[in-house]
Amino acid sequence: MKRIAILCPGRGSYSERTLRSLPDGHPWVARADALRRERNLPALSELDRAAKFDSRLRLAPENVSPLIYLVSMIDAAARCLEDECVAVAGNSLGWYTALAVAGALDFDDGFRLVQEMSILQKEQQEARGGGQILFPLVDEHWRRDPERTRDIESALQGARGAAFRSIDLGGYAVLAGSEEGLAHLLATLPKVKLGSTLYPFRLMQHGAYHTSLVSSVADRARESLGGLRFDRPRTTLIDGRGVRFTPWSTDVNALRDYTLGAQITTPYDFALSVRVALREHAPDHLVCPGPGNSLGGPVGQIVVGEGWRGVHSKEDFQRVQESDAPILISMRR
Amino acid sequence: MTTNRVAVVENNLDEYLRSAAATAHRIASGDEVAAGSGLTARAALELFEDQVASRALDVAARELKRTGRSFYTISSAGHEDNAVLGALLRLDDPCFLHYRSGALMMARSRKLAGSTPVFDTLLSLCASKEDPISGGRHKVWGSRPLWVPPQTSTIASHIPKAVGLAFAIARSKRMGFDTGLARDSIVLCSFGDASSNHCTALSGFNAARYVHKRGNPLPILFLCEDNGIGISVETPRGWVEETYSQQSHLRYFRAEGSLDQIWQACSAAVEFCRATRTPTFLHLKTTRLWGHAGSDVETTYRTLAEIEAIEALDPLLANARRLVESGAAAPEGLSAIVRDTRARVMAAAEEAARRPRLVTRAEVESSLAAWDEPAIRARAARIVSPEKRAAMWGEALPEKAKSPTKRTLASHVNSTLHDLMAQYPETLVFGEDTAKKGGVYGVTQGLQKRFGLPRVFDTLLDETTILGLAQGTAHVGFLPLPEIQYLAYLHNALDQLRGEACSLSYFSGGQFTNPMVVRIQGLAYQKGFGGHFHNDNSIGALRDIPSLMLAVPSRGDDAARMLRGAVAAAKECGRVICFLEPIALYHEKDLHEDGDNGWLTEYPPPSMDPADVILPGAVGVYGADNKDVLIASYANGLRLSLRVARMLERERGVRARVIDLRWLAPLPFAAFIEHAEACGRVVVVDECRATGAGVADSLIARLAERGSRVVARSVRAADCYVPLGSATAAVLVGEEQIADAVKAILP
Repeated sequence: MKRIAILCPGRGSYSERTLRSLPDGHPWVARADALRRERNLPALSELDRAAKFDSRLRLAPENVSPLIYLVSMIDAAARCLEDECVAVAGNSLGWYTALAVAGALDFDDGFRLVQEMSILQKEQQEARGGGQILFPLVDEHWRRDPERTRDIESALQGARGAAFRSIDLGGYAVLAGSEEGLAHLLATLPKVKLGSTLYPFRLMQHGAYHTSLVSSVADRARESLGGLRFDRPRTTLIDGRGVRFTPWSTDVNALRDYTLGAQITTPYDFALSVRVALREHAPDHLVCPGPGNSLGGPVGQIVVGEGWRGVHSKEDFQRVQESDAPILISMRR
Repeated sequence: MTTNRVAVVENNLDEYLRSAAATAHRIASGDEVAAGSGLTARAALELFEDQVASRALDVAARELKRTGRSFYTISSAGHEDNAVLGALLRLDDPCFLHYRSGALMMARSRKLAGSTPVFDTLLSLCASKEDPISGGRHKVWGSRPLWVPPQTSTIASHIPKAVGLAFAIARSKRMGFDTGLARDSIVLCSFGDASSNHCTALSGFNAARYVHKRGNPLPILFLCEDNGIGISVETPRGWVEETYSQQSHLRYFRAEGSLDQIWQACSAAVEFCRATRTPTFLHLKTTRLWGHAGSDVETTYRTLAEIEAIEALDPLLANARRLVESGAAAPEGLSAIVRDTRARVMAAAEEAARRPRLVTRAEVESSLAAWDEPAIRARAARIVSPEKRAAMWGEALPEKAKSPTKRTLASHVNSTLHDLMAQYPETLVFGEDTAKKGGVYGVTQGLQKRFGLPRVFDTLLDETTILGLAQGTAHVGFLPLPEIQYLAYLHNALDQLRGEACSLSYFSGGQFTNPMVVRIQGLAYQKGFGGHFHNDNSIGALRDIPSLMLAVPSRGDDAARMLRGAVAAAKECGRVICFLEPIALYHEKDLHEDGDNGWLTEYPPPSMDPADVILPGAVGVYGADNKDVLIASYANGLRLSLRVARMLERERGVRARVIDLRWLAPLPFAAFIEHAEACGRVVVVDECRATGAGVADSLIARLAERGSRVVARSVRAADCYVPLGSATAAVLVGEEQIADAVKAILP
């Protein structure tokens, strides 16, 4: 049995390629569909099984977020039967999944959290606009390029409070802002081509997550999600500030306050959470549940940033991934 | 034996947790473990987690050492209750910690999100260059973001500077100076019972009490972790309490017993210190497991029964029992903490052991001290405006002095200190008799009147305290210019420079510095005031200290420019600099004949020209066109050499070039070699002890190693203390010796 740390993906992990991620007959799928019915929302199993990918429908936050949660939960639970999970972290939305994977919330409450937050964020986005953009911090070998960090600092400074850091993915920065702020960022940041992708670009149907621009979402969440039963986790949880919540000493009020407060309105440092998992738990493997493998690249870039097990470049990482002792195990492709 | 005892202690805890039954009455996480203790069940569990992590690190250290992958096994085992202080103190309460502080650091790290204390400690144990504090140079407890400057701490040598920092917090409040700390911050300084006997510790306690007696707040919390033994020598029973519980201006607290009792006592001590700003002595009972270090065979001085009795006092065992019996935790939960922590620490140890280490000399040396000459010169040139300066000096502008127009070395140092204190508002001047009297030679006269008591003050008679104050104040942004009354007095405090001040940048990768310019009055040749203690000519100890810079001016105008360079280097690069002033030249006026005023100079006003200050490498040159012989010297020797040069020219037509080395660390090798090779013959006039690692050895060795054909001689003082009265001449370098040496190498 290996010691593993599970890293739950956030938005962006479910796409056309990941259609039909849900297994047939899994009780959690049925339960999720039941919870969706309570809110008059289409069944996830149907959305997942569709022959054609309708991005407007499937990438709508209220649909895609619970889909991601459900796939991640099923994958993580399966993996925990094989290995010893020693720490759980997540990226952005993945934090909610992490809470449930670690047992700080039960499946239903985790689902309710994800569902409600997706709706609140969507309503916020529709009413006030705003969103996220993606910009690389590394070069094609996944080594840090200080120039890009300076570009970001300079662009944010010029945004005059309309744009902020949102997520640190290690190799990429997710920046968020109002419509005005995003326009400024897109106009100010240099165009960078990495592989075949040109950056920066806007993440479709994403709000200005993890910034003060969505503080009203946190206010509403504290009202509507006051009934969630937070418990001490069964496995150590690492949040987007790098704080460890252990099964023994966790203050459940602090966990709730963070989840319905700072997690929503302050930058989410996914890279730091992975760093803490690596250094303080030293798992044999990092494991990313599905859907898809959207965290594979960012996690690889974080590993490079840490120089973990002598990995200092994309090429090193690929080499170690092809060995019989990969650092990262992605459960889906 | 040691490994077995590790297993025994581990097993004791495991066995207890395996066999203990949970109490029927469980308390909620927010409930107190004992009524009135202030320690909640949840906080107690956090402490237990931190204590177990610290213990697991100690075990890992021994395992890594056994397999040749780590280099340090002095453990925190038995001292884990110091985690309570880690939990109680704030991140803006600076901590100077001794070497058994693992649990305290684990607990303190909780206050900083994203900390990785386990891995950081393992990197340190493995001497990895990724160790975030020392970069693989030593196993130290330290962290810039956690405000824990790294300490060597084994001989309590960190206590004076901790007192100095506590003094700085209080003094900054009075001055309105921003230290970056809160106004109610306190300083923690921990040490063992054995090292509390060290003279440096006693110096620190004494200074704290003395300063407080004088009416100054001094918010320091001394934490004596009393495990009852120093390596193999037991501390007499009751010694610490007897010694420290009855001292005035030192409030004594005793912490022992259960975890909640310790928490309560420590809370009271912290609150008292914070509220009253009074030196506080917290006596924490601990025990020591597994000997002093991994290499210490405890059975050579303790019986097995004694060892087992001590192991039974294991705080982890006691705390586990307390948590279970109070209903704060179930045995299975504590077992899970132990199991999980041991596994993750050992796994992390395997990873840390693979991290890179320092390899080259350049890598090791890189954190010794910074040096950026353009920045230093630019800093020195940022002088106060002429208007502001004129307002300060009024009619007494030193460069406009009327009669005489030229002044002495002492006068110029005094004027320079005035100008520097105006230029750098963060400077402090202090020492014995420095403020009210203005120094025993008058060099600091007028400073207190001009700049006020908070910035210019008299200290107690203790050089260790003076240098401790300098370090502590420098830690938080002050720029201290302490005075050591006589060079001979420095030696008993020298470790404050060698082991502490100069090692700080090295052990912290440059993250902490304690910039200072220590003015020292010294060297020999005083007329009418003889004897060793006031005429010390031993500087080898200073030149032996890595990174220490040593300036020795010989004349007033040089002194002004060198002191300005020294202060700018301290400010800009965090350097520790000794400025050794030759007492015998302080008031000297003449060079060749009585009344010639040849040793007086014009005062160079502060200049906006970056080239104006004199930094290491720049020698003073006299008779630059002369080529018959070079005489290289400094301080009193320079004046003697200039007299000999004139005599040789008059009597024998020998034209000698003379250079003033000015800075003795680092030595101006390039300039020396250039002048020596231009002349073909050199005499080094070194007024310090012949074999005292003086400059003559270094300079002539450097010439020899180059394969230079320069003919070299040296004259040096005797290997002896300087005697009283006329016998002085028998041991010091005299003009006749210099002349003889020159004649001996002339063709």
